[in-house]
Amino acid sequence: MSEPISFTDSEYNICITSRLLEEDKLYWVAIGGPPLVAIRLAKHLHAPKIAYVVEDGTIAPEGPAAMPEFMTGGGAGAFRAVAWTNMNTVGLHAALGYMDYGVLAAVQIDMYGNFNSTFVGGTYDHPARRFGGPGGANEIASMCWRTIIMTKLQKRKFVRKLDFMSSPGYLDGTIRARERAGMPPGTGPYRVITEDATFGFDESTRRMTIVGLPPWSSVEHVAEKMEFEPLVADHVEPVDPPSDQELSALRSAVDPSGRTLSRGEWMQWNPETRELARAGGGGEE
Amino acid sequence: MTEATLQVLASGTGEFLPPDPNGFREHVRRNKQRGLVNKVMTEREAVARFVSDGDYVAYDCNMGRRGPTALLREIMRQRKRNLWMAAKFTANDVNLMVGAGCVSKVDVGWMEVGRPLREAIEKGTVKLIEWTNGALTYRLLAGAMGLPFLPLRYFGGTDAFNESGAKLVTDPYTGESICLVPALNPDVGMIHAYQCDIYGNARVFGPGVAPLEVAMAAKKLIVTTEEIIDTEEIRRDPPKTMIPYYMVDAVVEMPFGCYPGSMPGIYRSDMEHMVELGRAMMQGRVDEYLEKYVYSVESHQDMLEKRVGAQKLIRLRQEERIREGYRA
Repeated sequence: MSEPISFTDSEYNICITSRLLEEDKLYWVAIGGPPLVAIRLAKHLHAPKIAYVVEDGTIAPEGPAAMPEFMTGGGAGAFRAVAWTNMNTVGLHAALGYMDYGVLAAVQIDMYGNFNSTFVGGTYDHPARRFGGPGGANEIASMCWRTIIMTKLQKRKFVRKLDFMSSPGYLDGTIRARERAGMPPGTGPYRVITEDATFGFDESTRRMTIVGLPPWSSVEHVAEKMEFEPLVADHVEPVDPPSDQELSALRSAVDPSGRTLSRGEWMQWNPETRELARAGGGGEE
Repeated sequence: MTEATLQVLASGTGEFLPPDPNGFREHVRRNKQRGLVNKVMTEREAVARFVSDGDYVAYDCNMGRRGPTALLREIMRQRKRNLWMAAKFTANDVNLMVGAGCVSKVDVGWMEVGRPLREAIEKGTVKLIEWTNGALTYRLLAGAMGLPFLPLRYFGGTDAFNESGAKLVTDPYTGESICLVPALNPDVGMIHAYQCDIYGNARVFGPGVAPLEVAMAAKKLIVTTEEIIDTEEIRRDPPKTMIPYYMVDAVVEMPFGCYPGSMPGIYRSDMEHMVELGRAMMQGRVDEYLEKYVYSVESHQDMLEKRVGAQKLIRLRQEERIREGYRA
């Protein structure tokens, strides 16, 4: 198949994230957005037995494949769950170590995987741009065994110093930094998914490390789009672009209302010429 | 094993409602009715009696789903001022309440940020204090347990912690660091229930967030309900009762009490209204919106009749497709 294939950066992130998700693991997510879409895509395509827990207390729903247009409204997000509990109960389940993965989105991230969803520019009391707040991300990023963070690769997002640390990665990167701050050991960011690179974290320095690259990207290209310098893994895995099968499942079955399509930058990958065209537009979350 | 000392390692600088478990007990002793008393009243009376300027207000879910949206409108209608809101798991709620001039402080878990809130932050008329959804519901749990604080395994080490009223301490049992959050006992708690009897025995269905914690932690509790049911019905099926009568100060019958939000299993949310609200926010016309849906009508019932209409309400009920789990 050599036809050019088009997708948005957000669709790319959703497809790549969904591939990482394994059967028979438990996922903890906030109520909406790309992380939940990625989980539902994985459930639809390759891991039907994936179970997820929503911060509002919904446990392992088996709802209709299609995401409702507004997740917070109505009962569709909680349909055919095994239990309806509450926020404190699922928080305790996480404290006990039941949550394997948290999947989250971030506005800004630093080299230790700490991230921001509170404000950008100015000060806390006088922010240039205020966002919704930590929401459930702080607890998800603290208590799940592994955290996957989805965002867009941009210099103003991958920064040396966050404007505000809403949620923790490896904090200052020192040994036991998370434990010293009261978090359970053995937890922390595992992957950062962007449209130009997949990152992991170096075991000893805890620094963000390039572990995967799509065919249009390179270490140099990625480094140019970041304020800090990423480490590079000994073996960098090639990442296949979203497939026709993934994109059509996402668009027709999982997100028919187009909530993921309507945002982000369009990209077109031509497998024959091995060139990527970016259409621009969108970008701001 | 050597005994560790409880030592405060770090403290956030944010303002918080000071925990006072003994004061709460005294409040309960003096003010909460332990007898079966009919507490049914209008929303006007409930808000006039139980919501004061400067109160800390917490409720469960949000104006988009199972929240006490109609009661929030009554608070705006009575022009309450300087409220301190717990914005855990909210939607446009804070924006709207700020737009109506009711709010001076917000404890932030998550909230939609729109023009009214942005302008208020700029002018310095609203002060934000950073927490998380989980930390706020956990603070309510501590308040619901009659404790001054609870330890939790997150939040430490972040800037959010620094802007909050949390503390990081050495746990005297394990010697490890642990974060503490102060109990939250709101002055006013508001729950929108599916069913409730005249005494306040209330049924809340669907995934929670923290309805019971809010009910138990609140000094004054207003329950609004889609319908009032007979106490005999309550006694025939006790496991369905979430909130027992003695915690409740007022019962207000408010069908479509979450409108324009959804009461899962009963009616869906009114998307047209949500779009209208969103547009008003974006275009800086919140005043017009408030005039239409809050100030120019007498009550929730009046608003439903004059501004929404029976036809639409019937449609919203019909179009709520998922009903399993929400019926008594």
